[in-house]
Parts: sequence; structure tokens; C-alpha cells
Amino acid sequence: MLHPSAVRKGVTLRHLTLTAAFVLLGAVLHAQQAPPRDYDVKAAYLFNFGRFTTWPAAGAGGDGAVFGVCVLGRDPFGAALDAMVTGEMIDGKRVTVRRIARAQDTDSCRIVFVSASEDTQLTQILQSLVGSRILTVSDLPQFVERGGMIQFVSDGKKIRFTVNVPAATQAGLTLSSELLRVAAAVRANPKPGGA
Amino acid sequence: MIGANNSSIARTLIGLNTLVSGAALVIACIAFGTYDRTTSRAGAVRTLSVQAQIVGANSVSALVFNDPDTAGVTLSALNAAPSIVSAGIYSNDGHLFAGYQRDDTIETPRPRLMSSDATEVHRFENERITLVRRIVFQGRPVGSVAIQSDLQELNARQAQYVGMIATVLVASLIAAMLMSWLSQRAILTPIVQLAGVARAVSNGKDYSVRVPATTRGDEIGTLTHAFNDMLTQIQERDTSLHEAQHALETRVRDRTAELESVNKELEAFSYSVSHDLRAPLRHIAGFAGLLQDQAKATLDEQGHAHLRKIAQAAKRMGQLIDDLLAFSRIGRGHLTSRTVHLQDLVREAWLEVTSEQGVAGRVIEWQVAELPDVTGDPAMLRLVMVNLLSNAVKYTGPRPKARVEVGATRDVHGETVVFVRDNGVGFDMQYAHKLFGVFQRLHSSDDFEGTGIGLANVRRIVHRHGGRVWAEAETDRGATFYFSLPAKEHG
Amino acid sequence: MITSVQCILLAEDNANDVELTLAALRGNHVANEVVVVRDGAEALDYLYRRQRYADRPADNPGLILLDLKMPKVDGIEVLRQVKSDPGLKTIPVVMLTSSREEQDVVRTYDLGVNAYVVKPVVFGDFMDAVKVLGQFWVVVNIPPPA
Repeated sequence: MLHPSAVRKGVTLRHLTLTAAFVLLGAVLHAQQAPPRDYDVKAAYLFNFGRFTTWPAAGAGGDGAVFGVCVLGRDPFGAALDAMVTGEMIDGKRVTVRRIARAQDTDSCRIVFVSASEDTQLTQILQSLVGSRILTVSDLPQFVERGGMIQFVSDGKKIRFTVNVPAATQAGLTLSSELLRVAAAVRANPKPGGA
Repeated sequence: MIGANNSSIARTLIGLNTLVSGAALVIACIAFGTYDRTTSRAGAVRTLSVQAQIVGANSVSALVFNDPDTAGVTLSALNAAPSIVSAGIYSNDGHLFAGYQRDDTIETPRPRLMSSDATEVHRFENERITLVRRIVFQGRPVGSVAIQSDLQELNARQAQYVGMIATVLVASLIAAMLMSWLSQRAILTPIVQLAGVARAVSNGKDYSVRVPATTRGDEIGTLTHAFNDMLTQIQERDTSLHEAQHALETRVRDRTAELESVNKELEAFSYSVSHDLRAPLRHIAGFAGLLQDQAKATLDEQGHAHLRKIAQAAKRMGQLIDDLLAFSRIGRGHLTSRTVHLQDLVREAWLEVTSEQGVAGRVIEWQVAELPDVTGDPAMLRLVMVNLLSNAVKYTGPRPKARVEVGATRDVHGETVVFVRDNGVGFDMQYAHKLFGVFQRLHSSDDFEGTGIGLANVRRIVHRHGGRVWAEAETDRGATFYFSLPAKEHG
Repeated sequence: MITSVQCILLAEDNANDVELTLAALRGNHVANEVVVVRDGAEALDYLYRRQRYADRPADNPGLILLDLKMPKVDGIEVLRQVKSDPGLKTIPVVMLTSSREEQDVVRTYDLGVNAYVVKPVVFGDFMDAVKVLGQFWVVVNIPPPA
């Protein structure tokens, strides 16, 4: 198993190549011990965001029977997200994964991951999701500036995230302080002229 | 020291009290100590548990979102607890996620993998407590937290406690000894007094001492009173014993004086008898004799016969007087106690009897067996033999061939029985009880002369030696006379 | 046989005994004068030639026949005085008494009596005893020099 300290000690091209080779080899030989892909981690985080968020009480339409984790646009997770949520429950509901193409299809979605493919339509998507009690997550750049609630960021070594609290508050969601603590950055003030 | 008691019972009491107090204190101290240790340990574990829970709760998101730095920050808050040596947060697979050390010399703990059903375990070892707790978020384990605390504070406290206990123990013991020593006086002084008096009484035989009276109503008071009562009783008994002894001695003295005076009277009596009774007798016999001489011619045969009878009667009376005097002398005289060779004595007696009694012309077969030595008065015993042999010779008179046999037996107790057997005229056993009486005879003096004092003398002498006399006979078939002498000296 | 005219002093208080003794002495021809005194005091008076006997012949008696029991002065006392007096102690003294008490015998011998004779009851024996006495003391025995 390749230890990350090998990378820390001094990053040369040669080292990088070796690392990649070993990673591949490791992935082949020790499939279960392979370092997780970014999107595996993001899938786990995505799921866990649901556990650190409190949804408001159900409205007239009811809560729905399932807790939907939806991927809007091209699905970067693959089987990882499905594997993650299998058999899990959040907020007393069974967690399911759905892949949707349009913002209008977000019925029974509690968390919506906006894929990078929807970059150009982000503003419309966020607009249509206003007031919908849906946690918006994406790894698109400037996501939180543009009104998204949680944005994946990477500092080169780890997957982290920034949080837009006012956006969540506006959607009626309460984000746990625990979540905020581990966030890379927290935006507490509403964006001037935000969506 | 006032009231100091060096008696062993005082020491025993004080020692006992001290022992009991000490034991009680030790037990109490051990109990409290153990309780304290147990509870403080439990408290320490509880504290650790709470800390683990807090740390764990605060580390959930860090674990979930893989933020070791935040977790490290949470852990570093444990710095506030000086007893916490190290702590660590571990991911589900047991790897160290974040760690904390009080100082750089300490390693982070490496906890055992916990079994799946235990939420928390703790272990005491090497002066440290290690507590491991599973971190669970919304029903799913996300990792575990381990905290290691050292027992320094605990041990310090315990040492303090032990020191305090020891001090209290020693102080209490001293106090107990002191109080015991002070209070033993109340109980022991009377007992020691009692013991002292008892010793004095038994050593000095002085029963007039008393234990000082006490007003106590308890057993000691009872003892004191009873003791004094006993002494009083002993004294009284002693006194009455002495008085009785005195009375006895007085009586003995009086009796002895009486006896002595009686004896003296008897002596005087026999003295005067021997003198005054004989004189008239002599006169009777004398003048009868003179008359016979002077009136020889003028008296007829009958007159002579009468005079002869007068003389005989006087002679007989003289004999009686002599015998009586001898008999009384036997009872009064001092009895010597010597070893007597019966063999020789019997031979001498036989010689005396045969020379005095006139055995001329008689055939007497004389048999003496081997006789043992006895203890007694030789003169008196000789008299006995003389009497018995004389009787044997006398009463075998009618026999053409007289046989006199002397023998003796000795039984297991050392008692000697001597017998004199003859083949004389014997006597009727019916009157045997009269044989040994004074002047008692079973034959008339016409047939056999004698006053009947001989056997009375024999009996008196033998009795004074502590023996017995008896006889067996058959009329006309001879008689056997026995007397016994005890083994030891008899006064 | 040397017979010398000697007198016998008979000290006896009982008249009958006196008569009998004199009869015996006479009957056996103990040819002497017999002086009879009736008690010890008289005996001593005679011996010391006192009072009524002040004029008696100077010769001491050749024999004293002494009874024990006498009034005034008894035989023991007479014996004692006689045997302690240098002038009288050579006179043979014969106790002629009816007492056979050992203590009397012992006492008289202690005092130096020459003979102790018990008067027999039987008259014949009495006669014999007196005869023997007389024969011995008067005839056989060499009297002390006067």
C-alpha cells in the first residue's frame, strides 16, 4: 500500500509517475485497499451532508416516502453513490439515488448534486430551486458565490468543502455547526445581490 | 503516678483495650480506604468517560469529513485536564486519526480493537487508566476515542489518605491506651486490693484483715463483700476451733488429772490394803496357832480341827488379798515394750511352774514347738505363761500321763497366736465366758486349789498388749488356751 | 556359837503383832531381852536415850526390828535417822512389816536397811521366819563392835 508520506517527501516527476504506477498496481492487486477516488469521497460526503442537515417540518404536501439524493446532469459518481446509500436512512426515510436531467424533476429530492455539465444553466437551476427545501451541492467553481449551498473544494490533498449558510437558511435548512466546523470556508453573510 | 497499677491484670486490660480499639480502627480505616479508592477510581473512570464522550461527539464530523486537524483541536482541549497523559481518535479501521500528548515523552495510546458489542472499555495498568469509547453518530460507528490518564492525582490523594489514616490510628490508639489506663483504676483497684489481701491472708494466716468495704453494686462489690464474709466465717470457725481445742485440752487435762488421782487413790488403797488387811489376818492365824500350841493337851480332836480350819481360812484370805493386789498392780503398772524371745520365756516359765508346783511323781509329756519372737513386756508375758502352764499342770493332775503342749502361729498381718494345750479335765464350753472373770472358777477349790485370779490376770495382761484371749475345751477331754499378740508395739 | 547378851529393839504399834512376835521370839529361844516401843518417836527416844529412856544401859541394841506403819514417827523416818547417825548406823535394822509394796522395799533399801521381811499370814511360816531371823542376826552374824 502506498503511503501518502511518499508523496510528501519530495514531489518530482519521476516520483509522480511511480506513484501513479503503484496506485494502478495497487488498485489492481489490492482492490479493497486502493485509495478512494475523489468521487468516492464526494459521494460519501454528499451522503453525510444529509446527516448534518436539518430539514424543516413537512408542508401540506407531506414529506414524501423517500429521501432522494439526486444527481442533476452527467453522473460523475457512478456506482459509488449507489453503494454508499444502500440500506441507509436519513431523517427516517430510505435514501435513494436518482439521476435527473432537469431541475423540474426534483420532486422527492432532498439533496441535489449539480454536475459540472450544468455549469451554463446553473443560475436557472438555482433560481428554480429557490424555496424548495433542497440542499444544493456541487463541485462547480464559484458555486457558493452563485448561490449554491455546499461546494466541494480540493486543496490538492484532500476533498473539502465550503458552505453558504444564508443560502441554506433561505431554503429553510439548518446546517449543523459540526458541519461548519470542518468546512474549509463558511460564508455567513448573504451575498450582496445574490440569487 | 497516682493509682498506678503495675499488676498484670491492669496490663492485660490496657493491652486488651488497645488491641480492640486498634483492631476496630484498622478495620474502619481499611474499609474507608478501600471505599475511597474504589469510588475515586470509579470517579476517575467516569470523568474519563465523560471526556471521551465529549471529545467523541465533537469529533464526529471531523471523522466523517476526514478533518484530522479539527479533531486534533478538539483533542488538544484535553490539555485542561492535567492528569490526561494522551488521547487519540481512531477511524473505524483502527488507524490513528488524531492524537494528543501531554508532553513529547509520551506515546499516543494504541488501544486494543474493541469487541463489536462494547461501547466503552477501560483498563487500569502501569499507573494509568486507559479508556476507549466507540464514537457513534446516528446509529453508525464512525470511529473511537481513547484517553489515557495517569493515576498520579489519584495516588497522591490515596497516599494522603493513608497518611491521614495512619495518623488517626496512632492518635486514637494512644488516646485509647491513655483512657484505658486512667479508667482501669476504677475496676482494677478493688481487684488488686482483693488479691493483695488474699495473699496476705494466705501467707500470714492472719484472718483478721479485711478488704476495704465498697458501695459498689456490681460483681466487684459482691466479691468484696463475699470475701470479707468468708474471712469472718473463717475467723469465727478458727476461734470456735481454738475454743473447742482448748475445751478438749482442758477436758483431757482434767480427765488425766482425774485418772491420776484415781490411780493414786488406787495405789494408796492397795498400799493400805496390803498393810491393813493382812494384819488382822495375821493375828487370827497367829493366835489360832498359839492356841493350838498352848492348848495341845486340853483340846480334843474336833477343837484341833476347828483351829486348823481357822488357820486355813486365814491363809486363804491372805492368798486372795495377794492375788487381788497383784491383779490391780497389773492394771496400773508401766508396760515396757521389748522384743521377747518366747522360746526362752516359755522354758523359764515351765521351770518355775514345775519347781513350784510339785510335779514329783508325775508323768508330764512336755512339748514346745518353735515359737517366734514377740513384742511386749517380758515380766508380764512371763506371768501369762506361768499362769497358763500352771493351770495346765494343775488340771492334768488326774491324768496318769499328762500332756502339755505349747505352740504358736503367725498370720499374714504379723499377729502371733500362742496356745497352751493340755489333756486335763477340760471344762464345759457353756461356761467359757466365765473363765477369765476375777475369782471365777469352773471347778471347786476342793478339787483344784486356786483363787480363780490366774486367768483374769492373763486376760488383763494380754488386753494391755492389745491382744485377745479365748479358750476351747471339752469336759474331760482337755483344754486349749489361746492368746494373741499384735504385730506392732502396743503401749 | 557366840551368844552375847544383846537386846532386840522391837518397834511395833499393834498389840497383837507385838504379842505374836514376842511369842515367836520366845518360842525360838532367841534368848535376848526384847525392848518394845510402840511408835517411832519412842524408838528414837530409846536409841538416843532421851526422855524416859535416858537411863537405859549404854549398849546399843544388837538388832532393831522395825515396822513401817507406826503413829507419830513411822519406820522410814526411824530408819533414816538411825542410818544417818554415826553412832547408830551400825545397828542392823530389819524391817518386819506386812507391806510387800515395791516402793517400800526400794525406799528402805535406799536408806540402807539390812533386811526386809514380810510377816507371813500363816502362823507357822511366821514362826519359821522369826526363827531364821533370830538365828542369823543373833547367832550367826558377827555384830558390829559396840
